[in-house]
Amino acid sequence: MQAILEIKGFAKTYSQGKKAVDALSLSVMPGEVHGFIGHNGAGKTTTIRAVVGVMDFDAGEILIDGHSVKEEPVTCKSLTAYIPDNPDLYDYITGIQFLNYMADMFSVDQGNRQKRIQKYADLFGITDSLGNLVSSYSHGMKQKLALIGAFLHQPKLLVLDEPFVGLDPEAAFHLKEIMRELCDQGSAIFFSTHVLDVAEKLCDKVSIIKQGKLVVSGSMEVVKGSGSLEDVFMEVVENEK
Amino acid sequence: MRNKYLLLLKMQLYNFFGINRMFHSHSKKEKQKSMLLGALAIVILGLMITYSALFSAGLAGMGAASLLPTLSVLVCSLITLVLTFLKGSGVLFGLRDYDMVMSLPVKSSEVVLSRITMVYLANLLISIIVVLPAIIIFGISTNAGIIANLIFGLSLLFIPVIPMIISLGIGVLITAISSQSRHKNIISLILSTLAVLLIVAASTQAQNMDSSEIVNIGVALSNTANRIYPPALLLSMAVQDQNGLYFLAFAGLSALFGGAFVVVVAHFYQKMNTATFSHSAIKYKEKALKVSSPFKAMYKREFNRYFSCTIYALNSTIGMVLLLVVSVLLLFITPEMLEQQSGFIGLSQMLRQILPMVIAVFITMTSTTAASLSLEGKNRWLMCSAPVRTIDIFNSKIAVNLTVIFPFAFISALLLGIRMEVSTMQVVLLCIVPLIYSCFISVLGMYMNVKFPKYDWTSEYYAVKGGAVSVLATMGIGMLSSMAPLFICAVFTGISSMVMVVTSALLLIIVFALYGKLRCYQLYEI
Repeated sequence: MQAILEIKGFAKTYSQGKKAVDALSLSVMPGEVHGFIGHNGAGKTTTIRAVVGVMDFDAGEILIDGHSVKEEPVTCKSLTAYIPDNPDLYDYITGIQFLNYMADMFSVDQGNRQKRIQKYADLFGITDSLGNLVSSYSHGMKQKLALIGAFLHQPKLLVLDEPFVGLDPEAAFHLKEIMRELCDQGSAIFFSTHVLDVAEKLCDKVSIIKQGKLVVSGSMEVVKGSGSLEDVFMEVVENEK
Repeated sequence: MRNKYLLLLKMQLYNFFGINRMFHSHSKKEKQKSMLLGALAIVILGLMITYSALFSAGLAGMGAASLLPTLSVLVCSLITLVLTFLKGSGVLFGLRDYDMVMSLPVKSSEVVLSRITMVYLANLLISIIVVLPAIIIFGISTNAGIIANLIFGLSLLFIPVIPMIISLGIGVLITAISSQSRHKNIISLILSTLAVLLIVAASTQAQNMDSSEIVNIGVALSNTANRIYPPALLLSMAVQDQNGLYFLAFAGLSALFGGAFVVVVAHFYQKMNTATFSHSAIKYKEKALKVSSPFKAMYKREFNRYFSCTIYALNSTIGMVLLLVVSVLLLFITPEMLEQQSGFIGLSQMLRQILPMVIAVFITMTSTTAASLSLEGKNRWLMCSAPVRTIDIFNSKIAVNLTVIFPFAFISALLLGIRMEVSTMQVVLLCIVPLIYSCFISVLGMYMNVKFPKYDWTSEYYAVKGGAVSVLATMGIGMLSSMAPLFICAVFTGISSMVMVVTSALLLIIVFALYGKLRCYQLYEI
């Protein structure tokens, strides 16, 4: 079976020679929820930004459903949905204008866009606010709006950077449900988080990155063994000090 | 390609002068404000077009209507060149919505094209103001024929392209060079300032001709334009000879320039944005931390903000830099040489009389305060929640503008005073007038930004330049406050000192009144 996301020997060096990520390789299979864990500044966001094609990189290859991010960026992006850690939405448009814009961008047909917007907006409880300007939304509402925008085209790969920060418990529950639903349909999810309890319960596979290097990667059962993910993470951090 | 490009463009147009807010905001106050601003913009546009039409009609009245195509191209191109450069590459790089837009299934070229189209539309407005009246007057005053009029009319769409691309190209080059360095903002600021000075110097050269009659100036200008700017020659020949091929060459050249620029920038777009966003990491070494008062802390932060944004620093300092450059250049020219070169007897005496007002004009060109509040953007919660009085926050912003202005203004006053050998009274005015104008423009900018804040920008450019009402209003009122007395002083040199004293006293009252109003505001209300 072909991996939905395949990262091979990815490396990124910023100007002034600072190596953010070095020789990172991992893959995410269809139906898989893959957690990407590491402390602040470990290289998670750098990797994620390269995967979603918003940042160039020095070495390695990133493939999405067999397509190279470097060679076929538009094809890759049309298969992907990305939510950054702090989604910065346009304040000057209404919620529905934003969703329509996202649906247009991903060429979602009329029927599906209506159906999906209604479904997810109802689920997250923001249907009534869709006609309001985004500037009037709370942080959580903006995050919900960004998530709905990401689900509209039923992406093959959903890339999320700290998706649970700022969400209320109900919304977090629904997000987990939707993530599972997408995986059941053959999509894959690659997300970074600091909430290890959530990662432990939700992820099929987990990768731990430290100072730009992948130190652990594998199925959740194998990685955590008889302990908890927190134990493994702390052990990795302590050992490397 | 077309659809995605149009979608990207539509999203940007929604924010153009707050159009979308006007239609969708539930706040009656916000709607009224938007409509008022819209009406104001239409009035200002109308006035500018009228002024431009009067100029063209004047030229036609002197029998020089045939020069209108070349002259309007020259004027429009120069304005586009300078204004586009001042916008900087802020419209292309380091935008806040970069991640969101670039993660969408669109090509870099579509993103670049949509960004450039916005700049083009803004420049098209300049073209409409400058060239459209010229086209109409040309049509009425000459028997040039339908084809000539058609060619001149169509040229309206192409005139802004080449100067716009040249300016954007310089901006991109500066970004490319500065992004390699740790001190990218400072390097970018220095290079940009140098580029603006070069552009201004080149523009001055284009107008530096030996002619005494207005029509002759027009002819000389027209000849110079044709010499230094070949596209102007192409258009001029297309209109004169009613030759469609020349026009096609002009339009083709413009399209080629634009197309090539989009292709090149799109190729490096991701790489350059990565470099723009990347920050060098320096390992922190523990050291004793300095303790400052809240005001000093805010002042320092405000100063850092000033240097962290090239477009902000450039736009709010360029007037003062120009003043200093002019003052230094004048050191090498005696008043007699100036009179001889200009052919204006008594020029040096008049300059001596109006010197303080000349400095005031440069001071009122811009103010850091006019955009300082808008630039807080989404971070304004930090100020709102800080345990300081609102007026102290304003004071810190005002203090930065004064810090920027004072060295330039007083060094220039000193240099000009020495060169012009001014009297004691003039020395006093050279100290007082710039001082009061500095306070005036700083407080006025702050007040305007409080009245018209713009927090929902996607690039700092939109807070500093593109449609930022507070900046435009500060500039407009500021220039009016200095140009009007300057004009009176220049015409009635005998009473110039009195005019300056009265104006300064009036401005001082306005400063106190505006400052008093600023004291009444609470930041969370703004």
